[in-house]
Amino acid sequence: MNTTHGGTGQPAPTTVCPRCAAAEFDELAVSPVPGVWRVLRCDRCLYSWRTTEPARRSSRAAYPERFRMSRRDIDEAPHLPPVPDIREDTPGGDR
Amino acid sequence: MSYDDLRSYLAALDRQGQLLHVTERVDPEPDLGAAANAANRLGERAPALYFDNVTGFESARIAVNAHGSWANHAIAFDLPPETPTRDQVREFIRRWENFPVAVERRQDPPWAENTLDGAEVNLFDVLPLFRLNDGDGGFYLDKAAVVSRDPEDPDNLDRQNVGTYRMEVKGTNRLGLQPVPMHDIALHLDAAERRGEDLPVAVALGNDPVISVVAGTPLGYEQPEYEMAGALRGAPAPVSRAPRTGLDVPWGSEVVLEGVIESRERELEGPFGEFTGHYSGGRNMPVLRVDRISHRTDPIFESLYLGMPWTEVDYLIGPATCVPLYQQLRADFPEVRAVNAMYTHGLLAIVSTGRRYGGFARAVGLRAMTTPHGLGYCKTVIVVDEDVDPFDLPQVMWALSTKVNPARDLVNLPNMSVLELDPGSQPPGITNKLVIDATTPVAPDERGHYGQPVTDLPESAAWIDRLTTLLAERGGDR
Ligand SMILES: Cc1cc2nc3c(=O)[nH]c(=O)nc-3n(C[C@H](O)[C@H](O)[C@H](O)COP(=O)(O)O)c2cc1C
Ligand SMILES: [Mn+2]
Ligand SMILES: [Zn+2]
Repeated sequence: MNTTHGGTGQPAPTTVCPRCAAAEFDELAVSPVPGVWRVLRCDRCLYSWRTTEPARRSSRAAYPERFRMSRRDIDEAPHLPPVPDIREDTPGGDR
Repeated sequence: MSYDDLRSYLAALDRQGQLLHVTERVDPEPDLGAAANAANRLGERAPALYFDNVTGFESARIAVNAHGSWANHAIAFDLPPETPTRDQVREFIRRWENFPVAVERRQDPPWAENTLDGAEVNLFDVLPLFRLNDGDGGFYLDKAAVVSRDPEDPDNLDRQNVGTYRMEVKGTNRLGLQPVPMHDIALHLDAAERRGEDLPVAVALGNDPVISVVAGTPLGYEQPEYEMAGALRGAPAPVSRAPRTGLDVPWGSEVVLEGVIESRERELEGPFGEFTGHYSGGRNMPVLRVDRISHRTDPIFESLYLGMPWTEVDYLIGPATCVPLYQQLRADFPEVRAVNAMYTHGLLAIVSTGRRYGGFARAVGLRAMTTPHGLGYCKTVIVVDEDVDPFDLPQVMWALSTKVNPARDLVNLPNMSVLELDPGSQPPGITNKLVIDATTPVAPDERGHYGQPVTDLPESAAWIDRLTTLLAERGGDR
């Protein structure tokens, strides 16, 4: 395809997350110089990337196998540090 | 002379030829990370790098590798750049003796000039963020000082903590933070979460070089980092009150973020290429919400590359890891001569000590493992005689090769604690630990054939002077 954005002649932005292949993402930032790059963040695995990064970081096809994350990797990621039990004797909530 | 901010330190590096200003246009990725990585491969005189022409940014100012060589570490401590490592550690120990030095409270910090509050907060508007390593989950703030207080005792400034804990930028006002359980912020967060409260924090970015050192120094829970900074600088640390949280932050910072670590919240973070030379893996970790940003006009964003050692982090926390371990061991065992814990933040440490009696040296090794820092590090402790310099690795190798009989000199302890980032730990956070007793056995430990050591000849000291003179004179002839 030869769609471009921002009039910069760059290829259209990625359509899936390079890391987990989810299709939903947010735009976190755009370049202060208009139309040069955007920073995107995957809604599912929270991977973020700049659209001008090398393909090995910004395209699903080139993203290295060893850094990919599956649904299972995401679901089974440990919680650190574990959330402690709430203390019974404190008011709790915001002060 | 001590530096009150990052800018005056960068100027000092520049005067000594230790700052390289890259004026050509570079891309944020992969150039900034790759250049910082490359600087780490330039050796003992590697410079700091300064960039101000970055694709897509209008006014990015970025400093990396500010501590990333022995020359720079020396300049950070206002020592001659050629000062040998061992002497830099010695000087650190000497200045430590002046602890505590009360802070100097200053008004009108330069970072109060510009403020973003509430809905205006956007980290991307203030910081030229970029990725370091390929497998990193995002862009990081990895050289910031995070300030917090003990929620059970918020007015006790001895318990106000300043520590470096890396943060992933996950949104315009949202950071992921990694509190290693052995570190002070983890204690603060645990107390807050048990109460069901958020933990107020301030994040100081772009600091004078000694603040960065103390923020990575494993001090005791009630040893305040600012008062150690005063001792190491030789002048009180200038601090100012952060407007929203009331926390003390460095007067000279480039940027100050204020907000809270949200109580009982965990969210996917990472991976991040870590100081172990391995990625951390993706974990659900605490979330820091930024409610206010204060910053200088045209702030400098300071970052640090880390990866397979040695990188900037190893210089930054090398001496800073040796000295607290040395001080804590000396408190119980004055026989301890020196500690080299510069490898992976002290995951391996080398201790030289005199021996009271057989078995003493391995007890010193075990003690290193039960210091506060040792609980998460000190997986291997090599103990050597008092006449072996732990900073001279060929001497250490000599001790290992001749003083060790694996039949009796290895103390292998099962199921000890270690930080879960140790890639060898299994399950993460649990490991065996090993003391290697590479000292000469003393009575009643009568093993081996060590009665006839070869020592330098008594006349050799005079000959060193004589040869040095002859060489100097010969040099003069040419
Ligand atoms: C660049 C850098 C990054 C660090 N990242 C973390 C981190 O993410 N989490 C952590 O607990 N410690 C991290 N550390 C280590 C702590 O800052 C260090 O162990 C310090 O002594 C802890 O101090 P504390 O005892 O006051 O918590 C980092 C250190 C440096 C220099
Ligand atoms: Mn501390
Ligand atoms: Zn994803």
